[in-house]
Amino acid sequence: MNMPEEISATPGFTALMAKLQPLVDGGRLENLVDLLSLLSDLIDVTDAAMVEKLARAFESATATTWAASNTLRQAKAEAAALPDSLSVFALLKLLNDTDTRKGVAVVLKTLNIIGRQL
Amino acid sequence: MNKRIVIVGGGVGGTMLANQLAGKLYPEILRGDVSITLLSNSPDHFYKPAFMYVAFNQFFNEELKRPERSLLRPEIHFNVEEVTHFDFPGQYLKTRSAKRYDYDFLVIATGCVPAPERIEGLQEAGDHFYQYQPARQLAQRLSTIEKGRIFITVSFPQTPNVPHQCGIAPVETTLMLDDFLRRRGVRDKVEIIYTYPTVAQLLRNCLFLQRPTGEILPDIFEQKGIHFQRGFTLSKVDPDAKVAYSAEGDAQPFNILMATPPICAVKAVRESGASQAPNDEGWLPTHHETLQVYGLQNVYVIGDTVDLPVSKAGGACHNQAPVIANNITAEIRLGAPNSVYDGRVQAVAQMGLNAGMPLWYDYSHDVQPTPPTKLGGLLRNGFNRGLYWAVARGML
Repeated sequence: MNMPEEISATPGFTALMAKLQPLVDGGRLENLVDLLSLLSDLIDVTDAAMVEKLARAFESATATTWAASNTLRQAKAEAAALPDSLSVFALLKLLNDTDTRKGVAVVLKTLNIIGRQL
Repeated sequence: MNKRIVIVGGGVGGTMLANQLAGKLYPEILRGDVSITLLSNSPDHFYKPAFMYVAFNQFFNEELKRPERSLLRPEIHFNVEEVTHFDFPGQYLKTRSAKRYDYDFLVIATGCVPAPERIEGLQEAGDHFYQYQPARQLAQRLSTIEKGRIFITVSFPQTPNVPHQCGIAPVETTLMLDDFLRRRGVRDKVEIIYTYPTVAQLLRNCLFLQRPTGEILPDIFEQKGIHFQRGFTLSKVDPDAKVAYSAEGDAQPFNILMATPPICAVKAVRESGASQAPNDEGWLPTHHETLQVYGLQNVYVIGDTVDLPVSKAGGACHNQAPVIANNITAEIRLGAPNSVYDGRVQAVAQMGLNAGMPLWYDYSHDVQPTPPTKLGGLLRNGFNRGLYWAVARGML
């Protein structure tokens, strides 16, 4: 090991420099420094109100996706458990189920609100 | 034969466990071999750590709750029922509405409740931030105090090596209080005194229940002009004279007494006969690895009701839920539990109104404190406002 004493005393620094050397040689290190600077700027401009809005959007997106995938999984499982020769009468009976009517109301309300925004 | 899993308690432990169990046992649920029922005494789920923010006017009540049903997978049966009686030999429980629920596996996730009435005068003269209404009352007082003395106390359970609720909360709220009063422009006229009892789990005469964090607190407090005192075990409060007395013989005046009060398990658990904890505290004797309750068949416990040395906080439930989900699944499929809890707890501590400090620990490692940062504060805010609900749904 012919490394200068002050460098060899900091093995972490030596290892990091060895990793960075190709980026220095290729003139690409400045891109990473610029990226870090941009990240730092983003942290500077982010405040509690922005985090609150982002967090609300996150919850809204994840809760909707979660509820939709739960619904699809459950409906698929329950439909698979129905008899192969499902009669029209059985379907009409399903329409009269309280939960089905609630679901239909949600679908109709969704269409209603879409229409309201057109 | 159908295996009935009943989870009692709709807090974060019960909710995330129910969702994780529904995922693990989905094939059995589809076949009708397993059913999961969650019972809660409230139709709403509350993000309990937000009560701490309520005390500093940072959260509205409407923002910290969601309908419990909306947090549960549809395979889970949810009933609003308050459990009043456990019959462990008979494997059933009874509710306030006189309904009976039989179980094959039971998970007790009923948490703990503040019990300020256990210290004379504390209920009348003290304030705390562990429930919504007390936190609102504290917010009113902190928002109007112009000068005087805010005295902070921490009461541990008398059960050996069991912590108070959310270990870091007294430190968090002390630092938040300092920031809050500075924002109001009255900090120079209000003295803050942080105290800690002589016995804190396995430590003595310290400022925090883990040594590495306790050792950095004096520097942090001195920088902010917060006074601190070791060896103050709150024993009595005189509401008229506004004086707090310690078991060590000290007497301290206050304008606001911001206390971490005594806590205990809920009444039905305390009266179940399963607890051997002193002082009628009700903690269940918990196998520290499998999270089964000692002496009972097919009963698990999660969260604040355990008698383990780890924090009574959601960060503990987050690591206990997968273990219990695996163990119940393994009992059903293989005949014996197969997962082990290592005591891990993680959180982002709120170190002042804007700064945060991510932390973790387990049975064999203490928290290694790091400098609080703005980024840590943003992460905590993001968790409070959005990530938490994905955690409760068992997504994270």
